[in-house]
Amino acid sequence: MTRMKSKWLVLFIVFGLILTACGGGSDDAAEEEVVAEEPAEELDSPATTAAAAEPEADPASICLVLDIGGLGDLSFNDLAYSGYEKAIADFGMEGTFLEPDGGGENRGELLELCAEAGNDLIIGNGFLFDASMNEVAPSYPDINFAITDGVAEPANVRGMLFDHAEGSFLAGVAAALKTTNNHVGFLGGVDFPLIHEFEQGFIAGVQAINPDIVIEIGYASVAPDFSGFNDVVKGKEIALAQYESGADVIYHAAGGTGTGMFEAAKEVSESTGTKVWGIGVDFDQYYQVGNALPELQEYILSSMVKSVDVSIYNAAKQTVEGTFEGGILVDNLESGGIYLSYSGGYIDDIKDTIEEYKAKIIAGEIDPPSARP
Amino acid sequence: MTKNIYKFLLKRYVVITPILLVLVVAQIESYSQLTTSGTFGAAVRLAIPIMLAGLGGLYSEKTGIVNIGLEGMMIMGTWFGAWGGYTFGAWQGVFIGMLGGALFGLIHAIATVSFQVDHIVSGVAINILAAGVARFLNVIAYQDVAFASSTASPRIQGDIGRLTVPYLAGGKINDNETFNLFGSIEDLDLFLVSDAAGLVLGFLSNISHLTIFALALIPLSVIVLWYTPVGLQMRSVGEYPSGSESLGVNVYLMKYFGVITSGALSGLAGSYLVVAGTGTYLEGQTGGRGFIGLASMLFGNYKPFGILMGSGLFGFADALQLRSPDAVHGLLIVISIFLFVLTLKNFYEKKYRVSVITLILSGGFLIWFLNSTSIPNQFVYFTPHITTLIVLSFANQRIKLPEKIGVPYKKGELN
Repeated sequence: MTRMKSKWLVLFIVFGLILTACGGGSDDAAEEEVVAEEPAEELDSPATTAAAAEPEADPASICLVLDIGGLGDLSFNDLAYSGYEKAIADFGMEGTFLEPDGGGENRGELLELCAEAGNDLIIGNGFLFDASMNEVAPSYPDINFAITDGVAEPANVRGMLFDHAEGSFLAGVAAALKTTNNHVGFLGGVDFPLIHEFEQGFIAGVQAINPDIVIEIGYASVAPDFSGFNDVVKGKEIALAQYESGADVIYHAAGGTGTGMFEAAKEVSESTGTKVWGIGVDFDQYYQVGNALPELQEYILSSMVKSVDVSIYNAAKQTVEGTFEGGILVDNLESGGIYLSYSGGYIDDIKDTIEEYKAKIIAGEIDPPSARP
Repeated sequence: MTKNIYKFLLKRYVVITPILLVLVVAQIESYSQLTTSGTFGAAVRLAIPIMLAGLGGLYSEKTGIVNIGLEGMMIMGTWFGAWGGYTFGAWQGVFIGMLGGALFGLIHAIATVSFQVDHIVSGVAINILAAGVARFLNVIAYQDVAFASSTASPRIQGDIGRLTVPYLAGGKINDNETFNLFGSIEDLDLFLVSDAAGLVLGFLSNISHLTIFALALIPLSVIVLWYTPVGLQMRSVGEYPSGSESLGVNVYLMKYFGVITSGALSGLAGSYLVVAGTGTYLEGQTGGRGFIGLASMLFGNYKPFGILMGSGLFGFADALQLRSPDAVHGLLIVISIFLFVLTLKNFYEKKYRVSVITLILSGGFLIWFLNSTSIPNQFVYFTPHITTLIVLSFANQRIKLPEKIGVPYKKGELN
């Protein structure tokens, strides 16, 4: 009798494991559907690009692997996804996008999966893909790879880098001009060199305006724990502490965690009656966060936009045209891949000063530091 | 009378000494963040989910069922809480989250009580299952919903209200501001008094209604488990099942009741994270809080108020490392003095070996404190875990487990 029962239990556990596996796999299934629809729509619309003009030919394919936080982070990953969607729509590409599991340990496997499926362009969205790129890319020399925020050695990998310090410098200038308490804050996602670029740029920008301004600095986690890019609760607590200690503008470089900062801004503004601000990152968050959570929109002063979508779009375009090359590509204020957004009009009054600093950076008169001293 | 009070204090030195020490250390300017109402407010918010999970563990373990699946039941609470909150509203979300947790409690109960499966095996299976089920459900439920993804749900509707107590913490009555008693005491900057006021203020101002509900469960659990017939039956089942059965107690029913309640409380812990915290379900947002709840239950020696203390300690350490990493340095001297108190106590009780160990550690922390101005960031983030570990390993060496915990029981068996 007990033997019978334990058999049932084994069955139950196996079922559980299958369900667990389905958790990851179901994305692909859901995606296949979306992908199947896309080219069909493309056929109806008046095609303008070369690739879409000949849909009978085997269409180029793109595979995007997102990083921790996944789709819906209103930041880095959503931005990459929008570039990917645009590329599919404009070039009639076949697309697949994958999300890693919670801790992101299966990056290598997902890249391998994309490569074996014969995609023409594979994008790893995030510096954490560098190790797995080095492993996977050499085995597939005919496939184009691209990695955001990172570099990898193989010749068929493009490292899409951004000069975060330049953009963050301008965010610092805006914060310093907008603070009334002479007190600002910085909320980093994960304490490690990539985010230090944002931090150092921001500090330099603030001090360029007024070296006496107090700067609070907080991080949600320390590498190798990358949960700090997706921890709204921690983001909110850190931001609350900074606002309560007197900061009235906080700049975040924390992906999904930053949503907590905007919520803290709303809470503090409402309870104290004095308006405090948050500066967004990656996306133009005035629209991105503002559309998803309209009640937070009025606290978003500006955003340091980092055009990951454009980089991905360009990589896709060049793959279709056959002009894709590996190597390192840096986007900065000069190339327009990095800029400070004026959405919402809250910083229109200080636009002249910001543009002045922007011109100085492009001219090379100011070189924002990107590493901690 | 005074002797009784003295005895009471001595028995609770584990809790009282650190609190006093923290209040004293906070007098030093650079560590003043240790006792602000903001820090305590954050501590409460961070402690409640852990406390609820610990309370959940208590109900299960008192009936003799080890529940390592708390984390999984909590994950179900987050998902169902967000789904219910998105579909119906905040309070409905809380209720549905509890049902989701209870469902997984039921699964654990069927496996361990009816099928006598090893409790750990079943608990681990629950944890693995829950993570997968949550992702699976999330993909299915929000396929066509904007601002949702496979790892995040859309935002819940409505909001759980917040309360600031009038007069004591300056809450409003009919939109009129009232006097903020503790707030003004905190602003006075009086030695110790202001810091204690900050502590109280953290509990009284801007607290979610759900927090009040959760805190009310602590005395309620004491009453249910220790002062009702059902509670007595539940505890007897964990201590001596065959004896209870001979007295007419329905052992299986009690165990089922305990484990399902456990699931519901863990589910509540999960939905608290969603409804009172983020407003959305995010994959992995439980972040091991179920396991920490289990630790707080052990720390509290299977007593509801002990669990409150244990989770409070963890929440405080967590709030501190988030809000002011600099003030964490002040904890070094607190730990050092606390270990010294332990040394004296052990020496007095003639436990010489232990007292030497604690003395050496105490000296070590003192030297560290004196020779540094801050703690490396990597350590700061582990403050909650390290604090819990230190207190757990030195303070409580007499945990009273239920007699027949983890032992499978078959009806009619002599056991």
